[in-house]
Parts: sequence; structure tokens; C-alpha cells
Amino acid sequence: MKTKAPKRPSPWLAGALSLLLPGLGQIYARQRYRGGAVLIAFLVVLGMVAWYGQPAWYFAPLGIWLWNVWDAVGQAGERRVSVLIPLLLGLTAAYSIGWQMVRVDFTSANWERGLAVLRPMFRPDLFERRTELNRMWTPISVPCSTTQEAPPARRQDGEKLAFATPDCAGVLETVIVSVSGMWPDTDTEIWWETNIGDDKPLGGNENAPLIVRTDETGSLTTTIRVPSTILIAQPDPTLQLTHRIYFDQRRPIGGLQFSTNGGFVVKGMTESVTMALMATFLAVLLAIPISFLAARNLMSANPFTFAIYVVVRTVLNFVRSIESLILAIVFVIIVGLGPFAGVLALAVHSVAALAKLYSEVIEGIDPGPIEAVRATGANWVQVVRYGVIPQIVPPFTAFTIYRWDINVRSSTVIGMVGGGGIGFYLIQWIALNDMRAVGAAFIAIAIVVMTLDYVSARIRERLV
Amino acid sequence: MLRIENLTKIYPNGTRALHDVSFEVQDGEFLVVIGLSGSGKSTLLRCINRLIEPTSGKIFWDDIDITAASPAELRHIRRHIGMVFQQFNLVKRSSVMTNVLSGRLGYANPWLSLLGIWPAADKEMALKALERVGIADKAQSRADALSGGQQQRVGIARALMQDPKIILADEPVASLDPVLSHSILQYLEQLNKDGLTVICSLHFLDLVHRYATRVIALKDGVKVFEGLPKEIDRAKFKEIYGEEAQEVRAASFEAEA
Repeated sequence: MKTKAPKRPSPWLAGALSLLLPGLGQIYARQRYRGGAVLIAFLVVLGMVAWYGQPAWYFAPLGIWLWNVWDAVGQAGERRVSVLIPLLLGLTAAYSIGWQMVRVDFTSANWERGLAVLRPMFRPDLFERRTELNRMWTPISVPCSTTQEAPPARRQDGEKLAFATPDCAGVLETVIVSVSGMWPDTDTEIWWETNIGDDKPLGGNENAPLIVRTDETGSLTTTIRVPSTILIAQPDPTLQLTHRIYFDQRRPIGGLQFSTNGGFVVKGMTESVTMALMATFLAVLLAIPISFLAARNLMSANPFTFAIYVVVRTVLNFVRSIESLILAIVFVIIVGLGPFAGVLALAVHSVAALAKLYSEVIEGIDPGPIEAVRATGANWVQVVRYGVIPQIVPPFTAFTIYRWDINVRSSTVIGMVGGGGIGFYLIQWIALNDMRAVGAAFIAIAIVVMTLDYVSARIRERLV
Repeated sequence: MLRIENLTKIYPNGTRALHDVSFEVQDGEFLVVIGLSGSGKSTLLRCINRLIEPTSGKIFWDDIDITAASPAELRHIRRHIGMVFQQFNLVKRSSVMTNVLSGRLGYANPWLSLLGIWPAADKEMALKALERVGIADKAQSRADALSGGQQQRVGIARALMQDPKIILADEPVASLDPVLSHSILQYLEQLNKDGLTVICSLHFLDLVHRYATRVIALKDGVKVFEGLPKEIDRAKFKEIYGEEAQEVRAASFEAEA
């Protein structure tokens, strides 16, 4: 092969060598790095395809091989050859294998499920219209006793009168219920309250509210079935127990109020922001002294302090690499469910993050002003007060606000492992498939995080 | 009178910045120190107020031995030695006023100064000092909002707050446009005419000719020249700065001439 060492490498020989082994021709054409890169790229793509085991994908390494021959010829002829083709081949192979490996699935079933989940989220359960309640109820005995006469299933309350016929009924038996003196032409929800205070819907298959509209005189009459799930007394199943049938009317009185879930959203969000605040505060207290130990310029004076510096830095890096979410799981085990576990998790992670940022501020301090203040005859404390503190306080504050910002974000998630805050509610709503409440939580998180993001950016702008 | 005797400074890494330098400065002189970068000018100036501890040698101010002063005495001595720096050395994020007031720290009540409380007299003095350098209107601006020339004037105002007898100026105009150099040096010249001793390191020969009453030159930490500015001609200049040196004349000097 090195018979005569021609001045210019032969394109034919380069091509032949590359056909034998990718990259060899390029090396022969005195492009050692290119040759090495071609060989590595070929082997990587080949290995990738071989490991995945789909024969069809061998087109990619094959394509690179063919291109490599062309490239070797080009290199020998000192012609520029674009690397676009092997790049595209490699990326196509990588993405295609990746597509199958992660089982990408855009079929219609997923779209439909997506819509079913997303649609309620566009009607977030945050506010409801303020309403007033017009309620009436009547007692009813279940079941009918053989020995004892049932008291009348009838109740009068001022204008309002409600009654059921018959006065007693067994499970799944039909009862006629009537009410009068209510608001006219108003939807009325009829529901059952058992003797122990359980609410039972009466509509649908005992799983939906039963709603009947009153007539123009404010009366309604309808039939209901005694719910199948009510408890019968033991050991005497014939013992008469008094249940209630409720008639509820609601009408708007203007204005909005937080819905039940909306109230939880506000409570959870307040808790999250407070958790972040407390965690950041705790972290600052610890991070300030630690940051001085982690500042290279202060600690490299002698081997002992430098050893402390190395240890502190290593510990900080170690702690910082553990997500606060995982720390929260550990703290939940230690201090129990609730926001305190979340605060501890956020604080530990923040100490490590802040101490590193602070120490970098200390490392980047300008010695000029310190020298100038010393030159005026100031004592040591005055030098720190006028030469050092003005330099570090603004960036310290900026980093602290930034960290608080991050902590608010994290605290919304940390509840999901039991660390308190909005995430604690969120994970339950997701489990209950209450997507309207989830939508409300998303809105609250977005508003708070965006606001803090903006405010902290503006404050940092002024400080730095 | 300031008397420097056999001053030597060797840094811990072995660099010999000054070697056996001796000279005297009479009260009211405008002494200019010249020499290449790294020739020991900055070290020399900082040894005078002991921002850098000399390795050996003595510095006498009248009859006080600065090199033997205790920390408390040293702070008292420093109060009367104002210093102006090449990089201005202002606290960039603090206001101009705070920067100027910090020049008064040697006199201030230590406790009140830590709280950032200053007597009205000091504040008035600071405003006067700023007026003197023509930037009283910038008192409340952040120091880094000012231009280079203005920052150096803040540096001079800070030095004035010390009621100094001596001003040490370490290349006060090297970071400035040549046009601004004269305006800054004219303030120093005015102070010198008011009776202050000025020791100033400079790079430009034309500035040396214009402002100095006496010149010393350093080369590799050794004093190679001491005399009047007019004694420095081109030959002498080449001797101090080396054969390849070309004299760069400040643009403003051309403009004025």
C-alpha cells in the first residue's frame, strides 16, 4: 500500500481502503481525525441498529458506508464533501429507533382520552355563583315494621309542606313524594339522607342527582325508589328507622364566591408560597456561613482550610444533586405528612444551591474597593462594612429571591409525595379524576409562578 | 518630608518588586514615578501607606517611622494619606455619596459608621469635595452609572475627605481617555498648589513634563533615575523604557500644543 508514496494520494486507493474499512481511506488521505470520526460514527450507528435488532434499519450504517467511500475519494482529490448525508442517516436511525422504543402512540383513543381530560380543565372549578338555598325535608320510615305502625311521613314548616306516601317503605320500593310552598318554576334536587347521615342521590342508577321542577304554584310530586345501599338494622332487620328525604332549591343572588375546591386551591397555594418562604429563610441562615467555607479565595491560604473547602464543596455538590422531591419523601417518613416535611426538603436543597451561589459571589469580589477603604485608615470592621458588604449584599439578595422563586415552583410538586401545599390537593384531585379542580389548581399555580417570576426578575434587574 | 530608605519588597512567590530604593520627597512636591508596567511603581506607592508590607527598608514621614507603626498608629497615619487608584476602586453598587463618605472612615465614630450614620458636618464636607471636583449633582447616583472620568473625580473627592497631607496617585489616568487625563491631573495640580504633597505614577512622558516638579524612574524594581522632568530626553527615555520603546504622546497634548 505504501509502495511509492505518491505526492497526492490516489482517489482510487482511498476509495478502495474505505470500502474495506470505513475511515481507512480518509486516514490514507492524511485526514486522520476525519477518518477516526467516520469509523466511530459508523460503528456507533451499526451498533445501535444491531442492538435494536430490526434488520430494516441496516440501511443507515450501509448508507454511511457508501458515503464514506465517496468521502474518501473526495478527500484524496482534495474536494469538499458535505457531512450532511451521514448526519441525517445517523439521526434518522436514532430517531426511528427511539420512536419505537418509547412506543409513541398518537392513535385516536389517546386523542379522545386527552379531550375527555382536558375539556373539564377549561371549566376550572375555582369560582361559583353565589346562591341561596331553599330547603325542605320530610321523615320516612324504612322498612315497614310488622309490629309497629309507622309515624306519618309528613312535615310542615311555615308555608312549606312535604310528605311521602306510604309512610314506610322497604329497600328498592317505590314511594310518592310531594312538596308544596317552595319557589315556583325552580329546579329542585331531591336526595335521601339515611338515619346515620349518609347522602344518597336518587337520580339515574342511584349515581346522579334527581332534579324535578316545581310548577307555578311551587309544588311538585314525583316517585322515588328507596336507595339500595341504605343499611338495615341488625340483628332485627325489620326494625323501623327514620330516614329523610330532602328537597333543595337554589337560586343565584348575584356575585361570585370561591367554590369548595376553589377554597382548597387558595389554601393550598398560600401554603405552598409560605413553605417556599420558610424554606428559603431557613436556607439563607445556613447558607451564609457555609458559603464562606466554600469560597476558594478565602480558604486556599493553607492546607487545613483548603481541606475544609474541598469537603464542604463535595458535600454541597452531593446534596444539590438530590432533587427536593426525593428529599421530601425521606422527610415525610421522619416528620410525618404535611408542610413541615416539604419545608425541610426544600430548605436542605436550597442550602446547597444557595451556598454555592453565595460562595461564587464571594470568590468574585473586587479587591479594589477593599484596598481603597483600607487606605483611608478604616479599621477591619469598617473595611468589611464599606468594602465587602456593599459588594455582596445585592447579589446575595438577588440569588435569594431567585431561589424563593424556584422553591415556590418546587413546593407545588412536593405535596404530591405528602409534603403539603397545593400538590397535596392536586394529587388527590387527579386520583379522583376531578379535572375541573385540577384545572383550577393549574391556573392558580400559573398565576403565582408567573407573578413571582416577573417580580423576582424585576428586583434582580435592579440589584445586579 | 517623606524619606524612603533602602526599600525592598519580595513577594511570597519570589518576585522582587523593589530593590533597595531610597529617595526623599519634600513637602509640596509633585513627584512623578515613571517606569514600565511591572517595574514596581504600584508596589512603591502601596508600601508608603503599607497596603503592601515592605520586606525591608524604612519609610519616615517627618520623624514618624511608618514601617514600625502599630496597627492603630498605622490607621492614624493612613488618615492623612489620600490614595487615588488606576481602576478608581469605587464600590460600584453604592452611591457616589457613600463612596465619598467612606474616605472619612478614619475619623468617624466606628459604631455610627457601621450603621451608616454620618454627622451632618461630614455630609456637608462630602458635598463640598464633590463640588470641588465638579460633580455635586451626581451625589445620589450609583457609582457605576458615572463615566470613567467622573468616577476618578469621585476617587479624588474620597481622598479629599481624609484631609490629606500626601496624595498617592497610582496611575490615576491610565484607564481614561487622553483627553480626560489633563482634567484629572489638573485637580491634582491644584491640590499640590494648595500645599499637598503629590506622589503620582504616570505613563506618558508629555504628562510628566507638564505636571511633575521632580521625577524618579524605576526599572525592574531599581531606581534608575532621579531628577527634574526636563532632564528626561529621548535618550534617557529609551534607557528607562528599553530600546524598543516608542514615545506615545497623549492626544490632548497634541491638541493643546
